[in-house]
Amino acid sequence: MYRPRHPVMFLFVPLLLLLVFTLLPGIAALGLSFTDYNVLQPAKWVGFANYIHALSDPKFWRSLLNTVYYWILVTPILVVFPIFVAVLANQKVKGIRVFRLVFYFPVLVSIVVTAILWRWMFNVDGIINFVLSIFGINQIQWLSDPHWVIPSLAIVTIWQGFGYYSLFYLAGLQSIPKDLYEAAELDGAGFFKKQFHITIPMLRPIIFFVAVISTLGAFKEFTLMLTMTDGGPLGASTTVVLMVFKEAFQNLQMGYASAISFILFFIILILTLVNQKLIDRNPEG
Amino acid sequence: MSQVQTGLSRSKVKKSYMKQRSFHTGTTYFFLLLLSCFTIIPFIWTVSISFKGVNDPIFSMPPQIIPGHFTLENYAEVWQTIPIFHYFLNSVVLTIFGVILPLILCSVAAFPLARMKFKGRNFIFILILSTMMIPPEVTMIPVYLIIYKLGLIGTFAGVIIPGALSPLGVFLMRQAFLNIPREIEESAIIDGANVWQVFWRIMLPMVKPMLGTLAILSFIAAWNNFLWPLLVLQDQGMYPLTVGLYKLQGTFVTNTRLVAAGALIALAPIIIVFISLQKYFMEAAYSSSVKG
Repeated sequence: MYRPRHPVMFLFVPLLLLLVFTLLPGIAALGLSFTDYNVLQPAKWVGFANYIHALSDPKFWRSLLNTVYYWILVTPILVVFPIFVAVLANQKVKGIRVFRLVFYFPVLVSIVVTAILWRWMFNVDGIINFVLSIFGINQIQWLSDPHWVIPSLAIVTIWQGFGYYSLFYLAGLQSIPKDLYEAAELDGAGFFKKQFHITIPMLRPIIFFVAVISTLGAFKEFTLMLTMTDGGPLGASTTVVLMVFKEAFQNLQMGYASAISFILFFIILILTLVNQKLIDRNPEG
Repeated sequence: MSQVQTGLSRSKVKKSYMKQRSFHTGTTYFFLLLLSCFTIIPFIWTVSISFKGVNDPIFSMPPQIIPGHFTLENYAEVWQTIPIFHYFLNSVVLTIFGVILPLILCSVAAFPLARMKFKGRNFIFILILSTMMIPPEVTMIPVYLIIYKLGLIGTFAGVIIPGALSPLGVFLMRQAFLNIPREIEESAIIDGANVWQVFWRIMLPMVKPMLGTLAILSFIAAWNNFLWPLLVLQDQGMYPLTVGLYKLQGTFVTNTRLVAAGALIALAPIIIVFISLQKYFMEAAYSSSVKG
């Protein structure tokens, strides 16, 4: 009933866009990474020079270190903490729907507004230092101390993401059969025993999933750094993708930036494969 | 063991369970409120700053949450000193196109993939899905260069078109089209409807819920879009709120009150849409997370 030309009519424009703005750029990026290109002059083929340059560039290693540090802070917390949030949000108490909405909301806030909100929270005379002072902790220079800037950014990421990730867990919790808990209760299991012996094992596939997604997110993050700290102080919060962004659009080193982005891509690929291996080894996962 | 329980011990278990429950309700609320504070305080703090008078300290120990000299002056001033209304309108225009274009493109692409039989259908579908694996931070530079070569730098088209075809959107729309029974389009075709009429009059109305989901997801992405307007737009008069606020931070560092007012103006539409469409929002969040 449909003619052969019909699919072409419908798919032509979408596929053209896909080709021009996704597939072609994917290939072009690889080509670009072997050239010296600053937009103003034609591209010059330089072979692996950009890759060699990157691997001997202390700025690159610094940004990779920053990214890994940020990942180590963010991902474990975003994997574990939302499980507790989901267990809380799954309690049948009055007004629970409102709480769920509140926890979810930060993910909808644009990165620019988020940066504005949290720069004030982290001000030396801001609310966080005030709360800490109640417990007798001295002022911390959150965003201007190179040692504290990545943890500060991690806090913002957790603030923005925990409600989003707990939604995955909430969906998982609601699919766990109720009789499992009832049987455990009859066997005398308390609240924590139930969580450890039923909830966590049942959520394992989602735990892996969240680990993958939040890892990808952490390795790609740069707009948060761009808007909150601009990579500072002294490069202490420059992540790999922020370095790519700056090399490309501020220094116009398009080839060099592309090479760095590919190195990061390989690192992410390896991490994903390792994770996949871990999942495969767990038949339940 | 549970099967051989007597009625007596069963009721005992039940009683202790009930007691445990009421204890939990208290702790549940305690943690729920604690988490809510963590989520909400940054917003309250910004609202407070935006209403503070010139003589109210912005940062002080302890922080002053309720403004001493409540004023709307900051909102009036941000309106006058920076073209925030202009930014707002630009955001609205970008968002309208940023919602409508993906709706059209994704459903147009998904319709034949779900309803027609043709050679290479599965290949095209898998191709579209696999582009989700191409990392945007790798393609960012070539996409910029292509926009540049097409002469779209400095135009709204350059901001909107590159991201208009969302693979996730195609996936979601295809799922929706797959669920429609065959008879419906068959009877329409027997009645003499052509393929566009079948698509537009019969099929699209039947996938309205999914169109709504996709519209919500696109709305958030378009309203919050920051990177592409920052890269593509050059004329300050074309900035959306996100880029306008980003640049404002640099120039008005001293006037925190104005930045606070501007941030809340940017936040307001998201809050309004979120509260009025909360049910659909959570569904959209589920479908993008669980299925994606």
